Amino acid sequence: MSIQIERGAIVAVARGSQRARLPGMAMVDSMGVVWKHWVESFRKNRGFSDIHGTFTQEYPEEPAKIPEAYRNMPVLLYDDETGHELCTSCYQCARICPPQVIHMTQAKDPVTGKAVPAVAEFVIEYDACMSCGFCAEVCPFDSIKMDQVFELSTDDRPSLTVFKHDLGRPISYYAGIAPNLWAEAKESALKKLQNSIKRRPDVLGIAPHLTEKIAARRRELAAAAAAAPPPVAAPPADAPAAAKKLTPEEKAAKLAAMRAGKGATPAAPAVEAPAAPAAEPASPADEKAAKLAAIRAKNAAAKGDVAPAAPAAPASPADEKAAKLAAIRAKNAAAKGEVAPAAPVAPAAPASPADEKAAKLAAIRAKNAAAKGEVAPAAPAAEPPAAPLDEKAARLAAIRAKNAAKQPDDASGPE
Amino acid sequence: MLKTEELQINIGPQHPSTHGVFRMLVTVDGETIMDLKPVFGYLHRNHEQIAEQNTYLQNMPYTDRLDYFNSMANNHAYALAVEKLVGIEVPERAEYIRVLMVELTRILNHAGALGFLINDMGMWQTQLAFGMREREKILDLFESASGARLMCNYFRFGGVARDLPADFMPRLADLLKAMPGFVDEMERLLRDNEILMQRSEGIGILPRDLALAYSVTGPVLRGSGVAYDVRKAEPYSIYDRFDFDVPVGSVGDVYDRFLVRVEEMRQSRRIIEQIVAQLPDATGSHINPKARQNVKPPVGDVYGRVESPKGELGFYLVSDGSGKPYRYKVRAPSFINLTPLGDMCRGYKVADVVVILGSIDIVMGEVDR
Amino acid sequence: MPRLNAEELRARLSRDLPGAVLANTPLQVSAPPAHGPQPAKLTSADTLVDPTQIVAAATYLRDTLGYAFLSDIAVVDYLVEDIFELVYRFYNVEGGPALALKIRVPRDVPEVPSLTPAWPGANFHEREAFDLYGITFIGHPFLRRIYMWDEFEGFPMRKDFPRQGDKYIGEDE
Repeated sequence: MSIQIERGAIVAVARGSQRARLPGMAMVDSMGVVWKHWVESFRKNRGFSDIHGTFTQEYPEEPAKIPEAYRNMPVLLYDDETGHELCTSCYQCARICPPQVIHMTQAKDPVTGKAVPAVAEFVIEYDACMSCGFCAEVCPFDSIKMDQVFELSTDDRPSLTVFKHDLGRPISYYAGIAPNLWAEAKESALKKLQNSIKRRPDVLGIAPHLTEKIAARRRELAAAAAAAPPPVAAPPADAPAAAKKLTPEEKAAKLAAMRAGKGATPAAPAVEAPAAPAAEPASPADEKAAKLAAIRAKNAAAKGDVAPAAPAAPASPADEKAAKLAAIRAKNAAAKGEVAPAAPVAPAAPASPADEKAAKLAAIRAKNAAAKGEVAPAAPAAEPPAAPLDEKAARLAAIRAKNAAKQPDDASGPE
Repeated sequence: MLKTEELQINIGPQHPSTHGVFRMLVTVDGETIMDLKPVFGYLHRNHEQIAEQNTYLQNMPYTDRLDYFNSMANNHAYALAVEKLVGIEVPERAEYIRVLMVELTRILNHAGALGFLINDMGMWQTQLAFGMREREKILDLFESASGARLMCNYFRFGGVARDLPADFMPRLADLLKAMPGFVDEMERLLRDNEILMQRSEGIGILPRDLALAYSVTGPVLRGSGVAYDVRKAEPYSIYDRFDFDVPVGSVGDVYDRFLVRVEEMRQSRRIIEQIVAQLPDATGSHINPKARQNVKPPVGDVYGRVESPKGELGFYLVSDGSGKPYRYKVRAPSFINLTPLGDMCRGYKVADVVVILGSIDIVMGEVDR
Repeated sequence: MPRLNAEELRARLSRDLPGAVLANTPLQVSAPPAHGPQPAKLTSADTLVDPTQIVAAATYLRDTLGYAFLSDIAVVDYLVEDIFELVYRFYNVEGGPALALKIRVPRDVPEVPSLTPAWPGANFHEREAFDLYGITFIGHPFLRRIYMWDEFEGFPMRKDFPRQGDKYIGEDE
């Protein structure tokens, strides 16, 4: 009985020696093979196409050559720049896991109680994980990926149940170990991440080791934004000097200095882009002005005054413009022959009570001078503002002076 | 007068030569075997019951662990069975990649199995080390394609998980250059070797009709003279496009099975060469894009089988229309090939038992499931 | 040697082994859901044989039809229908697709004549069926458990075997 086969033949194997030999000579001949291997073992093998030579890879002195596709043990990815985890707790990996070692709970909005596309807790039992790679294959958000670590031996069994804070890896890490795989997935992953971020309130969904830092920074920036448009001579209430050593302006100045130094490359793991104060690229003049403002603020604080929360020198182009405008108006008014409104010459704002007083005094003097019909020199110009420039206060002073000049006979005065 | 007695001894389950946890209850009279009963189940993990509680896709990594020496072949059999049940088509390129992987698996299985056989004969890992070197090259290729060396989990329903990486084909070409040298060297080292012939010629003879009656498959069957190869008998995948021969033995002893495996390595290499020539012209991608992986087959049953390096590996699946198999049975070649072990060993010496077992080439993961 | 398909086999068996062939009724595989689409019943073209005649049918396949290669004996536990179905799969040595014979035995008294004396290859298959399902094969030379240890009680692959916790492991496992 034999089958009829196509495209081949049924070959009977040839038993026994192919050629006549003296008894025992085949063994000697086969020793030739062993000899050849032994001789060649002193040379390192050239490559796949050679069967001789030493193939030994001297691990661990030589690092193991791992191909990109190698998979062992899953990890969760988070974005370097924003700190947000890509995982939205969609449960696909937990569903597909053959040994069922993935467990997770969805994050809920603390205010409304509704589900948020972020994951609250995520557990993988590393000791039972078979590294099949299904979780990474099905993840629609490219957030769980296969790492390549194989040196996981430990004597601490409970540590093999890994929680989210130990599972997180930055995207840069994964792009480093599997560049081609990440390049395929990158675009859609980041796009989906943006959508998720929009739906995540507050600091939900940020990698655990970054949450505290980002929350604190956000509070700080919120405070700075609240105080940035300076109220009428009112010192800002919530100076964020509480937790930080540097004031926002100083921090902004520092960041600007760093950026200038690094040439506009973003600083290393910048957690969050600082907001408005550092919006402008630094220039030496701005740097100097910022430093000056910082020193002034320190002095003012030392004097016991409330720390001015006004942003330092280049606070914003708008304010600068306003100050310039006020200065121009003052110049025009002076040129028109009106009584020199003294105060605008000193756009330095009296943001501290002392300066305020000085400004008031200057305004009164201007009024008197105007009333006397003299062309008063810009005496108050001699009053150097000891406080950081406060453009808005300067504008206000300018307006008051103008009013004073307009109504020289008004005895009520601007005050 | 001296009286002899029959002694019942255990070979195994912990024994370096039993290819896993396998126990043989031998009844010896002196050195000669009177009877042999194989006892196994030490690695029984109830894989079939686990599979009934998993979905079809979740079972794929578990099939890797059946015949843990050749994971790609297990994957292939399972994927074939499920695709038959559901009716998924596999694109041409995926078929080529599949056959490539399976034939590489065949080479690496035989290289390892013969190495272990020679080790069992007392040649202390010379050939095993040479064979392991070839295995390492192929395992490196598997690692770059599928992500793991042994537990590949590479096949999916409708194709394979990932396409071949860019450096796969050049390295494969390199490997093919070395392959004839390896097999020729193995033959020079072993084939005419007097010691090997003394230890394997006439040992463990399985006559032809007994081989059929015992439903053994694979090189054991072909060594006994029955030219039955599933790739030729009931061609699956694209095996009908390749030219390759089926080596058969005549006597059915250990020597014949050894020679059959050596020749099969050559034939596998022949198939791989044809794949390398034909692959660039294959149409389609590495997976059927319309194939859903979380399959829900219609109610029915199917039996899908492949020629794994150890024999005929088959999966019998019964579906009840849900996403999990109702019945999942593995027809493991090593399990059935152990049936004639008692008959094959009767009358030989204790030292021959190990050699005969090695020539059957079993893997306990398959035997016990 | 002719290659048959399932219908031809049924025809020949009906003709040559009268009384062996039974009508192959569809089987309900799982418990149908309370509502929603009802799954179909399992129909198959394979020949259903009377359990007492299985040895005769199998040897007929081997001797007369040339299907000398017994590949597999699979047992399926249909809990809803309260039967075990055994599938004997045969291949022709010259190649070609399989022919299967199926027999059904009740779950409470699963006894089947053993194929092993006539066909040694069925040995381990039947032992496995005995170990995992509890089917007794009458006439088997060595019907002992093959995977579980001999004193084990219970048949693990049955559908009503507890999936978690039993007297060996404890209820909490």
